[in-house]
Amino acid sequence: MLPLVCFKLAAYTRSHRLLQPMIALFVMLVVFYSSPIPQGKELTSYGDSAGLLILVFAWAARGLLDTEPPTQRLISMTAAGRPIREIGAGLLAALAVNLGLAAIALGLPLLHGFAAMPSIGDLLRGAALHLLGLGAGTALGALTSRPIMPSPAVSLLALFGGYLAMLLISLTPVGALTVPITRWMRAANTGTLDAALIPLTAATLFWGALGTAAYVRLRRTRP
Amino acid sequence: MRLSEVCFRYSRRGPWVLRDVELTLRPGSVVEVTGRNGAGKSTLLRLLAGIVPPSRGTISERPRTVGYAPDVFPADQPFTVTAYLTHLARIRGVRSGAIGPLAARLDATPLLERRLGDLSKGSAQKVGLIQALLTPPGLLILDEPFAGLDAQTRRELPEIIGEIAAGGGTIVVSDHQNRLENFPGADHWLVGAGGVDAETGRGPRQVVIEVLVDAERAEEVERKLRADGHTTRRTG
Repeated sequence: MLPLVCFKLAAYTRSHRLLQPMIALFVMLVVFYSSPIPQGKELTSYGDSAGLLILVFAWAARGLLDTEPPTQRLISMTAAGRPIREIGAGLLAALAVNLGLAAIALGLPLLHGFAAMPSIGDLLRGAALHLLGLGAGTALGALTSRPIMPSPAVSLLALFGGYLAMLLISLTPVGALTVPITRWMRAANTGTLDAALIPLTAATLFWGALGTAAYVRLRRTRP
Repeated sequence: MRLSEVCFRYSRRGPWVLRDVELTLRPGSVVEVTGRNGAGKSTLLRLLAGIVPPSRGTISERPRTVGYAPDVFPADQPFTVTAYLTHLARIRGVRSGAIGPLAARLDATPLLERRLGDLSKGSAQKVGLIQALLTPPGLLILDEPFAGLDAQTRRELPEIIGEIAAGGGTIVVSDHQNRLENFPGADHWLVGAGGVDAETGRGPRQVVIEVLVDAERAEEVERKLRADGHTTRRTG
């Protein structure tokens, strides 16, 4: 499956589609860190970054999965031996791109943005939150990609609308029905993340896995 | 390979494209698939290739290695021909050394350093054929392979099909232009009205006649024989 992941990554980078989420990422990071983050507030900042960058992760995943022409996906399915390998390779390639974007989001404020270096513990907590964000974003991006939503307008609306719905629902008393974005932001801000990390991770993984499973199921008849 | 009571539709409430299809494909057989536009030929080929599963019924004993060449090769990709085929060779787990001989056979060597997006339809079709042949396929699916091909490749392709069949591979070709109508021993499937009418090939028994000609007249004689529908192979 690795050669197919490499093929998809090569097509994505050569098509310059990576520029779109990269530009969005840098714009958001410039906004986040336009003024220095005071010492002790680094985790709050990472929590907000992980929650808001879900949109960028979803955009990057959608762009990657849309790079190949539909007929190339059919060729890749037969070349790889089974359709599920093509679907899996697409998701792995999207995760790889989003890992890179998350690494930039974690590393850039260390160079410019934080008034002081955060503790290793906060750095790891920030990395964990970004991993949750990229998982949720990748699933949202996959569900709005071209095989599932052939209309670019509908797909883009679903991507932004889906993210907004996740954000707004997570603010309400029925927030457990979606990815707990605002709950992890609040926990990072109030210093209660350690106690809440396991339930937050479980909830995010559950919704991410559900979205991914729906994507894989739908791709059975939408090659 | 066997299709048992295969039905297919693209969505739960959509119309049936194929219903209760019962087919058997023997190793070494060549099948020409015909039918009007929209009859379900490409859908049948995708089912055979394993790209989509049947909505009902089963497809069993599909060969492990499947080669698939679509009716229109997706040339809108940011690679040169060589880079693209090298990636596809790696995906298939074979060395890229297989590319050169196949390209030479399909008269595609001059295309290797060109960008996919710069290829004509016929040249792109050759790239689609090469990628399908990178590993000797147990099942080769060709969707309208003759469209846009030059005369030399149109002559070469039936020979390649014959060689794969001789090696035990199964070849299924959607063929609007009926170029395989007279292919020796080919089965013919007519797709229409949600079903497939299969007619087992009853081609005439073939013999080999050796014809000795002066070297300078070889081209002319070969052209005449091919124009009469015979397959020729030059030696010496």
